[in-house]
Formats: sequence, C-alpha cells, structure tokens
Amino acid sequence: MKNISGRLLLLLVAGIFPNIVFGHGVDEGTQQFLTSNDGVAIVPFMYIGAKHMVTGYDHLLFLLGVIFFLYRARDVLIYVSFFTLGHSITLLVGVYLDVQVNAYLVDAVIGLSIIYKGFDNLGGFQRLFGHQPNTKFAVLIFGLFHGFGLATKLQEFEFAREGLLQNLIAFNVGVEIGQFFALLFIVLALSFWRGYSNYLQFSVATNIALMSGGLLLTFYQLSGYVIS
Amino acid sequence: MSEIERPIQSTPNLLKALVVSALIALAVFVTIVLPAEFGVDITGVGSMLGLNALRVEDTNKEVITRPAEGDLVFRQDEIEILVPANDGLEYKFFLYVHSNINYEWNSTSSLYFDMHGEPEGDTTGYFESYGAATVDEMSGSVTLPFTGSHGWYWRNDTDEDITISLKTLGNYDVIGLK
Repeated sequence: MKNISGRLLLLLVAGIFPNIVFGHGVDEGTQQFLTSNDGVAIVPFMYIGAKHMVTGYDHLLFLLGVIFFLYRARDVLIYVSFFTLGHSITLLVGVYLDVQVNAYLVDAVIGLSIIYKGFDNLGGFQRLFGHQPNTKFAVLIFGLFHGFGLATKLQEFEFAREGLLQNLIAFNVGVEIGQFFALLFIVLALSFWRGYSNYLQFSVATNIALMSGGLLLTFYQLSGYVIS
Repeated sequence: MSEIERPIQSTPNLLKALVVSALIALAVFVTIVLPAEFGVDITGVGSMLGLNALRVEDTNKEVITRPAEGDLVFRQDEIEILVPANDGLEYKFFLYVHSNINYEWNSTSSLYFDMHGEPEGDTTGYFESYGAATVDEMSGSVTLPFTGSHGWYWRNDTDEDITISLKTLGNYDVIGLK
C-alpha cells in the first residue's frame, strides 16, 4: 500500500482501537467475580484471559520485540506459537498445581526478557559474544516465565477448585484470543511503519526504548520485591 | 537465523545503545517511578512534579490519647482471641470516664460484634453500646462516658472457629475474657 491516505488509515486503526480496550481496567469486577464464582464459567474466564493479555503491556512489549524483524506471516506464526507453548505450559501447570513463585521476581524476569529481545534485535549477541542464541528457544524459555507471570495474577484469588481445569483452559484460550487481537494491531502498526525508509534507522531507537522499558520494569518489580 | 533480516549493529553502537537505555531507565525510575509508587524521592524531582500526591499513604492517623482523671499507665497491647464455632464471648478493659481507647481488630471471617461499656459497680445489667455490626474488621477510638468495663461482645454464628486479632492503645487495665 503505497498510497499515503491508505497508510494513515491503517495507522489510525492500529493506534486508536486498542486504546478503547485499554481504557477500562474494571479490575474490581473481575476480582469480585473470581472470589465468588463457583463451578464452571467458560466464557467469563475466556474474557478475563483475553483482557489479561490485551492489557498486559509487559507481555505485549516482549511480543513486539519478537516480531519486530519478522517480515513473513509464517515466521510471526512460528515464533508466536513458541511463545504460546511456553506460557501455556506454565500457566496451566502453575495454577492447577498451585505452584508458588514470587510474583515480583517472575515479573522482573519478564522485564529481563524485554531487555534481552531488544538487545538481540540490535544484533548484540552476535556482535559482542560472537554467538547468536537460538531465537526460537529463547522465546520458548521466556514464554515459560511469562506464563508464570500470568499464573501468579490468577493465583491471587483463591477461587473454587470445582471446575478449575475447565475454567483454566478457558482462561488460556482467552489469553490466546487476546494475544491474537493485540498482535493484529501490532502487526498493522509495524506494517505501516515498515513502508518507510526510516524503519531501519529508527529500529535502533525503538530497541533502545524496548531495553529501557524492560529495565524500568525490572527495577520496578525488584523494588516491589525488596519492599514486600 | 536466516529468516530474520536485521542489521547487526557495530560494537560502539551497541555499547552506546546499552548505556543510553540504562540511563533512561535509571532516570525515569529514580525521578518518577520511585516517588509515585514507593514514596521515595531521592532527587526531589518527585515532589517538584507533585508526584507525592499519588503516594498511597498508610492511614497513620494521629493517635489520640486521653488519660483523663485516672492513674492508669498508657499501654499498647495485641492479642489473638479465639471465638469457637456457634459461640460468643466478651473481652473487656477497665477505663476511667472520659479517657479513650484506640482499637483495631480484624478476624479470619465476618462475625457479629457489639462494642459496649458497663458502669463500674453496676448490678442492673445496664450497658451502653458504642456500635454493633457484622464485619471482619473494625478500627477507631472511643471516649468513654463512664468509668467501668468497656470492650467487645463477639458472636460467631458459623460452624468454624474464628480468630480475632485485636490491637489496643490507651490508658487502661486489661480485664480480659469474660
């Protein structure tokens, strides 16, 4: 799409729509639901899962880093699948077996994953270490930590064991739906931007921003850990 | 990974990138996040920007103490009280008229309470209630209208034992369980 107005429309859609979703934050409602819910509630859990992902800026920043230099839909699908596999495993196992991990530490690692990806995007590992760590493997491993991050948010609520497995799977499905929609907008925005010659120039700045954001997140979560 | 076409930055560029991102993160964290989220303002920028307003202060209300006309020492106590299932009990303190007791209690589950006082030496069973409800936490300060035994009646209407954590400050003597 070389036509400028077509591009502007694309950017508008990619940029504005997510803000409508982000604007809500009706978390007390979710809290109340989770603590009082008894039994199977497939669609509510799906919705909560989708909302978690769409508002989960730490997960989305990592995904942005992952797909930043992926130009083919097939590659996006492959890498996102590795991420999905990783986070689904730890989400399901973590909540079902009630694995106790410190939420602050897990979230700090998620911050590190964002730094890692930004650094990797700059070719940092190849240049400074002469070795490119397997990117798919890295996404899978970090995906595991993202999954624990999702799990700890759910574990805050001591909800009913009855119907837990069904609700959990529904939550996971919701996470993937949310991820799909979020990715749609990220990919739309990236596609728009990649039409410009400054994409590669600004890619350095963007990945610096990614590393910076990841580091900020890590500081924030570690502070929370130290204080609590 | 051949499917990813990306330029590999030169070493100076990489190092610059690392330093710049670290500086940005540190700057934002110290000047904005620490003050806003944790109330820690090392540089003073936080208060300059007015971020201190965001800090959720623990409601550290000034503790009011009125010893009134009495010889009781100011003291602070914490105790755990077990209210058995389907049972009730009272926990009392002795205080002089117009003195006050600061209290804070929470319980493992909601139960009925009636905070009240009985005048010293009274035999009619008269009592004045300062408040009653079914809750799992309550706090405040009560200035007593007469000398006597003041405190709580708790009633557990459930089939599980309930434990209450009670903190008190004031000029009183502990009477305890009744």
